[in-house]
Amino acid sequence: MNCSDYSSALHDYLDGELPAPEVVQLEAHLAGCAACRATFDSLRALRAATAALPREIPPARDLWPELEERLEAKRPGFRLLGGMAQTAGLNSSRSIFHRLIPLAAAAGIALLLLLAERHAGSTPPRGGWEVAALDGMPRIGARDVRGTAELHVGQWLETDATSRAKVSVASIGEVNVEPNSRLRLVGTSATEHRVELARGSMRALIWAPPRLFFVDTPSATAIDLGCAYALNVDDHGDGELRVTSGYVALEHDGREAIIPKDFMCLTRAGAGPGTPFAVGAPADLRAALARFDFGRAQPAALTRVLALARAEDVVTLWHLLARTTGNDRAAVFDTLVKLSAPPAGVTRSGILAGDAAMRARWAAELGLTMVGLR
Amino acid sequence: MPYVAPVAVPLPALVTDAPDAEADLVRRAQQRDTTAFAALYRAHVRRVHAVCLRMTANASQAEELTQRAFLTAWEKLPLFRGDSAFATWLHRVAVNTVLADLRAEQRRLRRIFATDNPAALETPPPAPPVGIRLDLDQAIAGLPPQARAVFVLHDVEGWQHDEIAAQLGIAAGTSKAQLHRARQLLQEALR
Repeated sequence: MNCSDYSSALHDYLDGELPAPEVVQLEAHLAGCAACRATFDSLRALRAATAALPREIPPARDLWPELEERLEAKRPGFRLLGGMAQTAGLNSSRSIFHRLIPLAAAAGIALLLLLAERHAGSTPPRGGWEVAALDGMPRIGARDVRGTAELHVGQWLETDATSRAKVSVASIGEVNVEPNSRLRLVGTSATEHRVELARGSMRALIWAPPRLFFVDTPSATAIDLGCAYALNVDDHGDGELRVTSGYVALEHDGREAIIPKDFMCLTRAGAGPGTPFAVGAPADLRAALARFDFGRAQPAALTRVLALARAEDVVTLWHLLARTTGNDRAAVFDTLVKLSAPPAGVTRSGILAGDAAMRARWAAELGLTMVGLR
Repeated sequence: MPYVAPVAVPLPALVTDAPDAEADLVRRAQQRDTTAFAALYRAHVRRVHAVCLRMTANASQAEELTQRAFLTAWEKLPLFRGDSAFATWLHRVAVNTVLADLRAEQRRLRRIFATDNPAALETPPPAPPVGIRLDLDQAIAGLPPQARAVFVLHDVEGWQHDEIAAQLGIAAGTSKAQLHRARQLLQEALR
């Protein structure tokens, strides 16, 4: 047999589908054929690159408004109008056009009414946000919440060790306030909904477009980018954020971190957000990262982080490019390229010079596309 | 050391970290709550759009198919019994939406060119200028449509050849041949 006879077998071997007797034959051939070994190595590299492709790619624009209209068009009221067109016996296209004008007008009015109703629903409720007691007796100011109540701008919602509450964030999401927490409604408008979490824990599920919902904490502001996440703040004002869907940005005093799904980030009072890390990152990597972000022996900590970095940590390393300079940034770059090849047009010299466009392009390659990175 | 093939994973990890919250949203959406459906859309649109974009290699078509997938999901949601994770079910809806579109396109080509082998008419997009390194997604986009669909379903999404063959209306052997062809073209494009 010659090399071309093994061409298909290499793929089956890669997929683990080659029968055992043929495996023995192929492995013997590979041992003596450098060309086929090279082909097989190339196939393995392709498989590894495929496995590393981002599983999520956001559309370039928000599709929901258009989709929502199409959903509305499927509601019974619209079917009724369609049915009217059919029962009117409209056959020729010309007569359809002319006779549908009043129907189209009626449909337009119905659509306007629906949109007006929806628009009214998306504006903040005049009385405040609805709060429902989930467990125990949460308090708004000095009042106990029995069943449901309203949280107004400036008011504090407090839970003790035995109480929890669900807060409806206007019409854009929900926040569960866990025990021993203090949360204040700072402001609510069509363009911004903002709360302050002074201490405790909350879980947020937001379905609005990015950058509408903000949570101020003593050590950073969490900015929703279309997501679900959990946020904890301790009595010192230090925080921990874990993203379970979408993305969240953390900002403090010009320092920013973008945390994608299945990543976490620590925040420290006075220092702002640390560097995001994978939820499953090993403890020694997390410890080294915390020393780098908030400790004193930063060079040694960075060396340790780079030594421990895995393929799953490329988002972490990408953030470190912006948090290092000079030789440290070069070391981060050299580690990062071993784990994830930069996209075309992104060069070492450009990244080391702090080229923002190149960083953004690399961010897109890593799936951090919708985030308006700086 | 002998090569050991990795264990095939049917679908990537799609189970949300907040299953209770999502189950609640699914229940509400089944009762025709569009607000809950909006939340499900926000949570899953990136994943649905990714598979639509990779399989079509066309941004506007991917946006249309993403919307169609969610419209189908909205219509079929009352029939969703929770036998699988919602994300897995939705992903399947999205793939089926793309495949239906691909089959319709092949029927159209058959009508126009009177051929039983529309794949023979496929012309890959022009090669990039010499010296420009392709990234993998760009290279996948440059594959002929059927080879691209098979590659995405098998190597990216983890489907088996018999499933792909059934959905594309081709023989399992053809699916395998298309996969090998796709890999070979990608190797050449990325070289």
